[in-house]
Amino acid sequence: MSELSNLPSQKDAIAAAIALYPARPFAVSDIGSQTGWLKAAGHDARNLYVSGPMGLATSVALGLAAVRPNEQVLAIAGDGALAMNLTSLATIAGAKPKNLSILLVDNRVYEFTASVPTPTRDLDWLAVGRAFFGAEQCMRLSDLTPERWAGVARPAMIVADIAAAPAKPPALGMTPAQIRLEFLKASRS
Amino acid sequence: MSERVTSGMKLFRSIAAAKPKLVTGVPDGMLAEAIMLCEASADFPYIACAREEECIGVACGAAMAGERAVVMVQNAGLLNSLGAFATMGLRYGLPFVVVVTNRGALADPNGYDIEKREAFDAGVRPMARVFDFDASDLPDDLIPAAFKWAEAARKPVIIALEKRLGAEAAA
Repeated sequence: MSELSNLPSQKDAIAAAIALYPARPFAVSDIGSQTGWLKAAGHDARNLYVSGPMGLATSVALGLAAVRPNEQVLAIAGDGALAMNLTSLATIAGAKPKNLSILLVDNRVYEFTASVPTPTRDLDWLAVGRAFFGAEQCMRLSDLTPERWAGVARPAMIVADIAAAPAKPPALGMTPAQIRLEFLKASRS
Repeated sequence: MSERVTSGMKLFRSIAAAKPKLVTGVPDGMLAEAIMLCEASADFPYIACAREEECIGVACGAAMAGERAVVMVQNAGLLNSLGAFATMGLRYGLPFVVVVTNRGALADPNGYDIEKREAFDAGVRPMARVFDFDASDLPDDLIPAAFKWAEAARKPVIIALEKRLGAEAAA
């Protein structure tokens, strides 16, 4: 328990992953916790807050990466969410986008659903990521620096063990139309 | 001697005429030729997804950036994807085109397709605009017209292709 309590929060892990990039990447977050904590970590017009279903952020990010090949894209998925779209890792590995990475934040619970434990709570996500992307393209957030991250080929996956939050993140406070319009402008600038 | 234009070639040419930024899909026998032509195209990437719900996500990612995306799946695959279609495509008002092979028609009576078609009629048609076409007789401007409709309506549109009695076999 003491080991778990030393883990970073989801908000801090997201902020740390984004800070690895020399320029702000597009950040595509899954519904619920990831979207709430991404906004709490710092709202940016390049944030794309996905409204569902759980796990779709990796696929949405793949589509965005394909049409913006000169931009870096970071998909942010929880362990419960990614388990619902695990096949997207196979699709991404096959498509080989050179500008897409995945941040997997693993708190071992469905944070938005009364923190019910996820069925993947004992899964070794680092091993899963390495099965799809290889050891050189899947590593722990705690092992990365901006310099090291700059040398990692894409597609890549970052695994972050995080602490389960005692409360839900603040409400997003944006309508789908606002999200779409703001992101559309940012994606064209 | 003139080239015989197959239904798959016609579908591919119509897709290409719409100038999409990406095409994504999961194969069905009636889509196989068009998908292979898309994979070979230098004009846009084809993203082969493991599951149909991913295709909806991929198309939504492109559409969020204001770019055109085409999805090609079978009716059973779209049924697997209705949550994504509703909570992303419809909720955000994203104008992408979904080409669906609506298996289980009168001229396409495989036993394993019948319930797919009935579920498509019961589940998809009430929530989304579906335009139906004979797979063997596609208009040249089908996909460009579908994008124009979707962009005017600010929502995704479904183009349902089916085999029809008396029509040329469409694979």
